[in-house]
Amino acid sequence: MEEHPADGVYSIGAVARMLGVSAQTLRAWEDRYQQIVPARSTGGQRLFSRDQVDQLGFIRDQIEQGLQPADAHRLLAQQRHEDAAALSAVESRHGESRASPDGTITVLLAERDRHAAEFADYFLRTEGYAVRVVFDPDLAAEILRDEPPSVLVVDLLMSGGAGLALCRTARDIGSVPVLAVSAIELRDQALAAGAEAFLVKPLDPLQFVSTVRDLVGTSAYLRRAEGRR
Amino acid sequence: MTDRLLSGSDRLDAVFGGGLPRNSIVLICGRPGSGKTILAQQYVFHNASADRPAIYLSTVSEPLDKILRFGQSLDFFDPAALGTKVIYEDLGQTLNEDGLTGALALITELLKRHRPGLVVIDSFRALQTYAPHPEGFRGFLHELAARLSVLPMTSFWIGEYNGADTSDEPEFAVADAIVSLGTDREADRDRRVLSVGKLRGSGSMSGKHAYRLSSAGLDVFPRMADPVEFDRSGGSHERMSTGVPALDAMVSDGFYRGASTLLAGPPGIGKTLLALHFIFTGAQHGETGIIATFQENPAQLERIINGFSWSLDDPGIELMYRSPVDLYLDEWVYDLLDTVHRTGATRIAIDSMGDLRAVAGDEIRFREYIYSLLQRCARADISVAMTEEVSELFGVTRLSEYGISHLSDNVILLQFLRGDSQLKRALTVLKSRGSAHDPSTRQYEITTDGIVLGDPFDPTQDMT
Repeated sequence: MEEHPADGVYSIGAVARMLGVSAQTLRAWEDRYQQIVPARSTGGQRLFSRDQVDQLGFIRDQIEQGLQPADAHRLLAQQRHEDAAALSAVESRHGESRASPDGTITVLLAERDRHAAEFADYFLRTEGYAVRVVFDPDLAAEILRDEPPSVLVVDLLMSGGAGLALCRTARDIGSVPVLAVSAIELRDQALAAGAEAFLVKPLDPLQFVSTVRDLVGTSAYLRRAEGRR
Repeated sequence: MTDRLLSGSDRLDAVFGGGLPRNSIVLICGRPGSGKTILAQQYVFHNASADRPAIYLSTVSEPLDKILRFGQSLDFFDPAALGTKVIYEDLGQTLNEDGLTGALALITELLKRHRPGLVVIDSFRALQTYAPHPEGFRGFLHELAARLSVLPMTSFWIGEYNGADTSDEPEFAVADAIVSLGTDREADRDRRVLSVGKLRGSGSMSGKHAYRLSSAGLDVFPRMADPVEFDRSGGSHERMSTGVPALDAMVSDGFYRGASTLLAGPPGIGKTLLALHFIFTGAQHGETGIIATFQENPAQLERIINGFSWSLDDPGIELMYRSPVDLYLDEWVYDLLDTVHRTGATRIAIDSMGDLRAVAGDEIRFREYIYSLLQRCARADISVAMTEEVSELFGVTRLSEYGISHLSDNVILLQFLRGDSQLKRALTVLKSRGSAHDPSTRQYEITTDGIVLGDPFDPTQDMT
């Protein structure tokens, strides 16, 4: 997000007074979360825009309501990417989202590459999803049948064509949407086997997470935040 | 988003066949001072965005503060991008305390936190010293490569590798692209050259490409070796005046537009003058002409020109004077092409080829460049006149020592002849590609109107 220096109006001291949050805390948020980054004057002084002050006010409110600072920043990032219309659409679909009764959204991640799994697991967890990683296609099929997750992410190149078989298994079960991923272009095969979405590896973190979110119907964090209201 | 990582310089991207392959591992090798860090930072600042930042990791050979301090002097270095779009981190302390395992964990952490589009490790070679044994380093290398390939990002590994290392070091096997920055010894000076050692999934320009380092970054001059021969018959059939009416008549009403013409002769015979005729005639007809000279500086040239009622202030004239001292052929050719592009020139006079040959280093390279330059001009319908000095004052027996006469469409020989106790000037059209020409040798004089062609010599004239 580009901020023109001319947009920066308020010094960090002014923002601290307006919001009742210490300058030290504001600097720590900026360093740690990189969400609200003020412009700098030619002399290097921070200059916050009106929008940024509003955003910081939102963060402060969320924290006061019990959210961790990291979660509050993620929530803000979410909201900055979704306009009001999208939000209300999500709310109207509230009843049909694929969360389990306790509100947790579970992603079953069937991968062949442990590094790919590590990163995918991390990005999903930072968005609030519960993740179960398996490298054995048979185990994945078993979990699909016995404890169906909210969504299945499967690498189509798992050994012996097991990835496509998992897509078909999920289709047969009926209730589990599938995001198929692969290092090569297998879009047609994936969709023919019942996958609802396909992404080519390497996965772009934002695109990956938003695709999962689209499949389950809502964002895990947003749901929790809404639940707390 | 394309599958190419661009540098911000079209010429550099062209060397890599349209940009470096995105999501690959690029090894940048070269000796200290060859510009590895500058090249990497050029890519960093051109590609970094808030959504896809670039991470620059220093190791132990180059302290982070030093990289930053020198980085500041570069035009593209943007302090406002630091911490948001461009993130500098020091791996040195982690390496000293926790070795390669610690470095791997820290890199993984940074990848998760920042989700970068570009990661630079400078110097990568320094990491080797932290491996307990060669197998340990290989293991680290594969672990790192595996992590880097999971996310959509390109990584640059920078190292002071020599050419001799290339086959043995495991980095070279893992890398998808290898870029070498080196020097070529040429006469008494070094020429900086960039070469592409390996480029997976893409073609690249072969050979060594000269480059220059400045505060604007690395400016490369791709080696010119245009492969396709331009078919003259497919070119323009429009005739254009040489500037000397009687000469036009000798070559069937002027040269073809887009043709190249070599004007050869001994010193003082009037080669430069004939080239100026060619340029100023164009200017009188509204065509822009470039006088690319090494011989006369602007003041000297002005004096010559004013003797013939021409002026350098003519808006159709673009003077490109470059001192032959410390001139590089590659830079000069690109300089000329840029000037053509900027001015829309359709005529070029190069005075002289000998000066260019002297700065070219080796003859093959000289021929490749001139050949490519003439091809490009022919394709763009730009006509070129080149002067070439021959060493014999009388009785010219050899023309061009570097084969330029073969590359030229037209060759005109100017020479001195003796007889009747008088020194005479003589002009002969030796070659006129694709058209009939008058094969006679004609006397000419230099007057205030320039070159004035006379009659053919009679049979008694001594032609040796």
